[in-house]
Amino acid sequence: MARTAANGNLKPHLNQNGLKREDIKRNGYHNKREKDCPGTGVASRQHKQECFEQAPMYVAVMTYLGFGIVTLFGYFRDFLRAVGIEKCHLAQERQEQKDFVPLYQDFENFYTRNLYMRVRDNWNRPICSLPGPVFDVMERVSDDYNWTFRFTGKTLHNVINMGSYNYLGFAENNTDFLKTVADKISQYGVGVCSTRQEIGNLGIHEELEQLVATFLGVESSMTFGMGFATNSMNIPALVGKGCLILSDEVNHTSLILGARLSGATIRVFKHNNMHSLEKLLREAVCSGQPRTHRPWKKILIMVEGIYSMEGSLVRLPEIITLKKKYKAYLFLDEAHSIGAVGPTGRGVTELFNVNPVDVDVMMGTFTKSFGAAGGYIAGKKELVDYLRCQSHSAVYATSLSPPVTEQIIRAMKCIMGNNGSTEGIRRIRQLAENTRYFRARLKEMGFIIYGHEDSPVVPILLYMPGKVVAFAREMLERRIGVVVVGFPATPISEARARFCLSAAHTREMLNKVLHHLNEVGDLLCLKFSRRKHSSRPGLHDETELELSS
Amino acid sequence: MALGDCWKSLSWFYYQYLLVTALYMLEPWERTVFNSLLVSVAGMAVYTGYVFMPQHIMAILHYFEVVQ
Repeated sequence: MARTAANGNLKPHLNQNGLKREDIKRNGYHNKREKDCPGTGVASRQHKQECFEQAPMYVAVMTYLGFGIVTLFGYFRDFLRAVGIEKCHLAQERQEQKDFVPLYQDFENFYTRNLYMRVRDNWNRPICSLPGPVFDVMERVSDDYNWTFRFTGKTLHNVINMGSYNYLGFAENNTDFLKTVADKISQYGVGVCSTRQEIGNLGIHEELEQLVATFLGVESSMTFGMGFATNSMNIPALVGKGCLILSDEVNHTSLILGARLSGATIRVFKHNNMHSLEKLLREAVCSGQPRTHRPWKKILIMVEGIYSMEGSLVRLPEIITLKKKYKAYLFLDEAHSIGAVGPTGRGVTELFNVNPVDVDVMMGTFTKSFGAAGGYIAGKKELVDYLRCQSHSAVYATSLSPPVTEQIIRAMKCIMGNNGSTEGIRRIRQLAENTRYFRARLKEMGFIIYGHEDSPVVPILLYMPGKVVAFAREMLERRIGVVVVGFPATPISEARARFCLSAAHTREMLNKVLHHLNEVGDLLCLKFSRRKHSSRPGLHDETELELSS
Repeated sequence: MALGDCWKSLSWFYYQYLLVTALYMLEPWERTVFNSLLVSVAGMAVYTGYVFMPQHIMAILHYFEVVQ
């Protein structure tokens, strides 16, 4: 069946898997290459833009081989430490208490002790400037293989920052832009010295909440001092025992912690997989609670706007349809997507043209796109009023500090374009352009990238533990700061480097980063992608169609 | 000049070997231990092959009745 695509061209005939017939004859391995690539259908437009390519088999084998060798050496070193040939740098019990119940769980720290400690110079690097598009890193060296560090006193200047969540570039120290923030410090001071319910409710907080509600297009909102605490402290107020939470596989720890604290039953569905979610919903509605078969008090679907480790976008229209069909509630965590996606920066609801009223609880943070700290929950007035009384965070936590609140207000007003200024729209457009350019060039070079085309979070898959470490070190030598993530945060065989693009990055900075990525990719053999991408714009759609099915 | 290129190429291959087997993360003495083990096992395999190859080949030829 032929369909017209967004650009109006009539796409050629596709068979059941969305592949052209010639492709199947040419290469029998088509279906095995890509997991999660669907067939044709109305909802598959997002699928086409979001394919998670699998690496060749030898890459997985070598990853496990690498981990196996390091594990063996880990056991060997532990043996040497136990026997006493080698000095143990970790905390140990006193000699007199060796027979007591162990205080330090030796085996659980195996991974930390034997893998992380060897290479931990790539994490926790101290920064001594503003985390803008470029920053300064303090140089540090280790004399005993990363057990202790010392600073040489030198600073690495103008390292390009590809790791900060600075999507719209609001982490800046320009005195003109920050004038209102300085005024608020002279007016309110810096500390609030009370909780929201006691004396900590300042006029500026009310102003911020009104602004957030207008920005998102909902009735009312409430702000909290810490983004993580917004999730973990408010979910227990919304659901309790006898409720069901359906949460995505790769949800953030704050959502998981909030869900566990609430005492509700948690069931996990496969990442962005609507069939899995529908199956769980059906089963929940038909069978009810586990032993008594009473109907669930509430069913809450928890998803995120942009998943920070995968870079994928949530399938919002489909989830809204499912939610309405099975009468469940939706909790949308827009920590990374608010301000960063959508034509005017309103997040995934705007990107997918969904009415914000359809999402029951909209949550987000101010840490990423607004360059401040804190989080918010927005929705109907009854919901927010209930949370004001019942949430732990609202009652016991200190409210947002005044200069931070003013920073959020000024950033939001900038995005909304107050006084007719176009600075906000310019930044949003710059971010979208940077995202498209960066992703297109990376795919062309042959790296395996996860995630949706419009998402400013770009994970490059590195797989092998040795390469992960070498990548981070090589990039720092070339004056580019990247964040690499390995095992506990990602599946064991899918270590990655995560790039966060910013509106403050200029085209030359991106070109410099891409040039060095190309070099490092060749040096370390990181270009695992087996798809062919044409760099000619006319043919680009054609090849996308052939291979991405 | 050719020797220089050869050395560079070998050096690059050794670097790839270190990365793939994750020896890059280990300390130098651990790398020496692993490399010695690998070389000794490979050496033993090659030596065994060298010693027993004539016998094996004669057995195969005898089985296929090429030689009596």
